[in-house]
Amino acid sequence: MPPQNPQAARRLAFLSLLVLLLLPVTLHAHSERGMVGGFQSGFFHPLTGLDHIAAMVAVGIWGAYLGAPAMWLLPVIFPVVMAFGGALGILKVPLPGVETCIALSGVALGLMVVFAARPPLWVAAVLVGFFAIFHGHSHGTELPNSANAMTYAIGFVIATGLLHLSGIALGLLVKWPWGRILVRTTGGAIAVVGFGFLFGFIQG
Amino acid sequence: MRQTGSPARRTLAVPLVLLALPTQAQAHMTAPGMGDFISGLLHPWMTPTHLLILLALGLWLGQHLPLRVGLPLQVFVPVSAVALALTTTHWIAVVPPPLIIAIALAAGAVVALEARLPTFAGALLLAVAAGAIGSDSGVETGTPFTVAKTLLGTWVGLGIGLINIGYYVSLAAERKKKWISIGIRVAGSWIVAIALLMLAFSLRRA
Repeated sequence: MPPQNPQAARRLAFLSLLVLLLLPVTLHAHSERGMVGGFQSGFFHPLTGLDHIAAMVAVGIWGAYLGAPAMWLLPVIFPVVMAFGGALGILKVPLPGVETCIALSGVALGLMVVFAARPPLWVAAVLVGFFAIFHGHSHGTELPNSANAMTYAIGFVIATGLLHLSGIALGLLVKWPWGRILVRTTGGAIAVVGFGFLFGFIQG
Repeated sequence: MRQTGSPARRTLAVPLVLLALPTQAQAHMTAPGMGDFISGLLHPWMTPTHLLILLALGLWLGQHLPLRVGLPLQVFVPVSAVALALTTTHWIAVVPPPLIIAIALAAGAVVALEARLPTFAGALLLAVAAGAIGSDSGVETGTPFTVAKTLLGTWVGLGIGLINIGYYVSLAAERKKKWISIGIRVAGSWIVAIALLMLAFSLRRA
């Protein structure tokens, strides 16, 4: 509907903005505390690192590329193995070369997508599981002490699962010729990100 | 008075102003008037570890068709009743949190593996879970009557909760869609992952 009086419309928009500024909001001085804070903290933790995001999405894309049953088996295996790595990190069990292996995971999984590699299922599962331990360990080590354990774990696992699902959704585009190009290009971009982290061009 | 702006825009301003009204902070949600029975009924749903076990067991019951309601009725319901009753006698010490989480982990693993357990093993899993949840649901304060009402509510909540989850999961599984059975297994793997992390948390704090 066109404005009947432009000046009045501008005034109303300004007034609305002022009113929105008056909205009471929650203070977030200690956002990691409590059940909601724990969930928030856990949910956003896997989403805050580009290296993690790239690897999680790559797992989904590669799974979709491999087709069933790998498409569904990898997202079943990955959270469990990653949680095992997370448990090691929480318990302060040392693991060598964590950051290097996380960067390598982006390179390896990205290249698998680029070259449309189709190894036997057990090879794919072992490769994904191996890298999952390092991703989990990194998350477990960085875990805030104040976070609610249960809701942190729920948020963390759900966010990881959603990243896989988004990778699978992207990977399903391979049914179309243009989708195949898009997916392999994304794999290349993930590998480049991995290289960037590996050689220090990109900082986490 | 001169009217400015369209009626639609003036109408928009009203809810905006209403939204700006200060509201009462709800840092500690309470349920005023909630009776002892209802409080007990909701207890398994408000205790995350208990809920995790119920979800895992319900997923396991529902993923294997036909749904075996007899097993939870013959094992889970009576064992949970005994365990809840024993909490009033103080015979049972506090159940260690890692034990409860380990049960959730085991139940989640059974779902993720889509393992059709022998009847004896299934009954054992249900009995251990019922015993642990029941023992962990004791009421610390109140008159004998209010404690009894709360425990009765918890018992009903546990039984109804488990059978309902199993029933609705079986309804989904009956559709014979591959993605549904995979989705149930993924949910099981998520439960395992959550339980693993929680186990590490509880061991670190211990």
